[in-house]
Amino acid sequence: MEIQELVGAVHHVAWLPWAVQYFFLIAISTTAFLLALPAFLLGREAALPRARLALMTAVTTGITAPIALLADLHQPGRFWEFFVYTNASSWMAWGAWFVPAYVGLLVLFAWAVHRPAFHACGQEDWRFAWIFRWLSLGGSANGFARPLGYAALFAAILVLSYTGAEVYVVKARPLWNTPFLPWQFVATGFVGALGVMLVLERVLSRDGGTEAQLNRRLALWLGVVAVLGAAWYGVALSGISPRHTEALASVAGFPVWHVLAIWGAGTVAITFLLALLAPRNSGWVTGLLAIHAAWMFRWTVFMGGQAVPKVGSGLYDALLPAGIAGLMGVIGTFGLWLFLVIAYTTFIPWSEAGVPTAGKTAAPSRPASQF
Amino acid sequence: MEMNRRGFLGAVGRVSIGAAASVAGAGHAAEAAAGGHIPHWGMVVDLRKCIGCQACTVACIMENDVPEGAFRTHVSVYELVMDGQDPAMVMLPRLCNHCDNPPCVPVCPVEATFKAENGEVLVDASRCVGCAYCVQACPYDARFINHQTQTADKCTFCYQRTQAGLLPACVETCVGGARNFGDLTDPDSEVAKMLSENEVSVLRPEMHTNPNVYYIGLQDVLAGRVAGEAAFHPAVLTEPGLTGADAHGEGA
Repeated sequence: MEIQELVGAVHHVAWLPWAVQYFFLIAISTTAFLLALPAFLLGREAALPRARLALMTAVTTGITAPIALLADLHQPGRFWEFFVYTNASSWMAWGAWFVPAYVGLLVLFAWAVHRPAFHACGQEDWRFAWIFRWLSLGGSANGFARPLGYAALFAAILVLSYTGAEVYVVKARPLWNTPFLPWQFVATGFVGALGVMLVLERVLSRDGGTEAQLNRRLALWLGVVAVLGAAWYGVALSGISPRHTEALASVAGFPVWHVLAIWGAGTVAITFLLALLAPRNSGWVTGLLAIHAAWMFRWTVFMGGQAVPKVGSGLYDALLPAGIAGLMGVIGTFGLWLFLVIAYTTFIPWSEAGVPTAGKTAAPSRPASQF
Repeated sequence: MEMNRRGFLGAVGRVSIGAAASVAGAGHAAEAAAGGHIPHWGMVVDLRKCIGCQACTVACIMENDVPEGAFRTHVSVYELVMDGQDPAMVMLPRLCNHCDNPPCVPVCPVEATFKAENGEVLVDASRCVGCAYCVQACPYDARFINHQTQTADKCTFCYQRTQAGLLPACVETCVGGARNFGDLTDPDSEVAKMLSENEVSVLRPEMHTNPNVYYIGLQDVLAGRVAGEAAFHPAVLTEPGLTGADAHGEGA
């Protein structure tokens, strides 16, 4: 039987590119935070160089993400209603509590980690010492960083869980309604976080050893992404899960999706090989490719997923418009993140961050004049 | 000439009686509500009578001030070519199914969307934050973000009309009598009789939403996502609206 839809309705994408930005940034933030923990929570001194980059990545993307989320609301001025009329059956409602808790604990944890350096800067005789005295709240002890870190870890896991579940439970969209999706968000989050850390490492520290360590971890997570993708495809092809078969069938006949699949798989494969075979001299390329892969995955899931009609025929176009809800929004979000990175590296003695101690921490040796 | 005039007057009479009966039907339900019985509104769409005139689409837009490019209801039109047969035009009026197990309600983070006493699924626009989670969750693509109010919007079964004892605008304007509305729990209602006397289907039964919109004469291939080709789709982010050669010609 042949069917031609002669008259039908086209639907707006209801979650705009802002949503892509939010899910991209919050996944990077939470996974980067997890990458910072071996040094800052478990006390592994050797992991400090990459943990500092991870914490910077987590804080800057963690602050940017909720702003993108707010922008995706069509009534952003009513955000307070999330906290007044919480619907316990909605993952989004829970997320409204989890995200501020995570960002707040993350910022507090970062402050606690940097407190000794703030204090040291405040003790020196220079123009802005008073700011650092104020920032350190008059002390250098940061033993409380560990409990804060564990609390932030719990909140990060909640955020990772809710972001995956929120999309996974939407049965109306077969491409989203797969238990693989939350794990794919986590794995591609690690890929994106390591990509950002690689780029920051190339810009800020240029330490070949750290670059190699990050590339090896990137290769590992790209492997996880590939395994998850292959498993999804295998389950869909096998027919053992009707929802996966339906998801594959909903897009398999469209050339644009063939291009997307080849592009995504190719990006993962090339980045994996580069990170594995040339871990010391490929940071810029692997970092940018990893960021691209993580972003593209979310664009495909959210914009591509919404381009599949639920009842109608064909595909809607999932183009990136030039306006504030499209390209300008994406650029603006990255601009805000870049501003936060510049502010972070300018005003925070990030490279002095050490393993938190229970007692008073020795002041870092770097003179304030270096700021 | 005389025959024509007589025929015309006869037709006017039939239309008037039909309209009066429709309003009386809703009024009867309103009276039942006043007597303690709470109606459970539903719609039965007889596809054998739908001619795809889109009068319901226009009536809904006019009644509910639906913004340009969005629809609370519309009639999808398909051309079906079955093996060895001539092409057939098939109409499929679409609207919110006012499900008894609506997937849009539990996902709303602020409880702005809810199931009303008479079974309608409604949106409290004064509370809606415009997160569009309900738009994603609806398996019928029946919800949208109203860019005038920046809140979720959808068919209400013309709540403002049914509260006043009137029929929804799409039902009242339906030229062929394809759309029928009433109390599903009243065995004497027209819709209840249609359900008992005909074989009916619902859209996407695999979603287990328990819809309150039923179809007579619905072909299985149209009950879910229609695996066909779309004649025309404009860019979704910039040019929403009806698709297809006819609609495009009208500037949609």
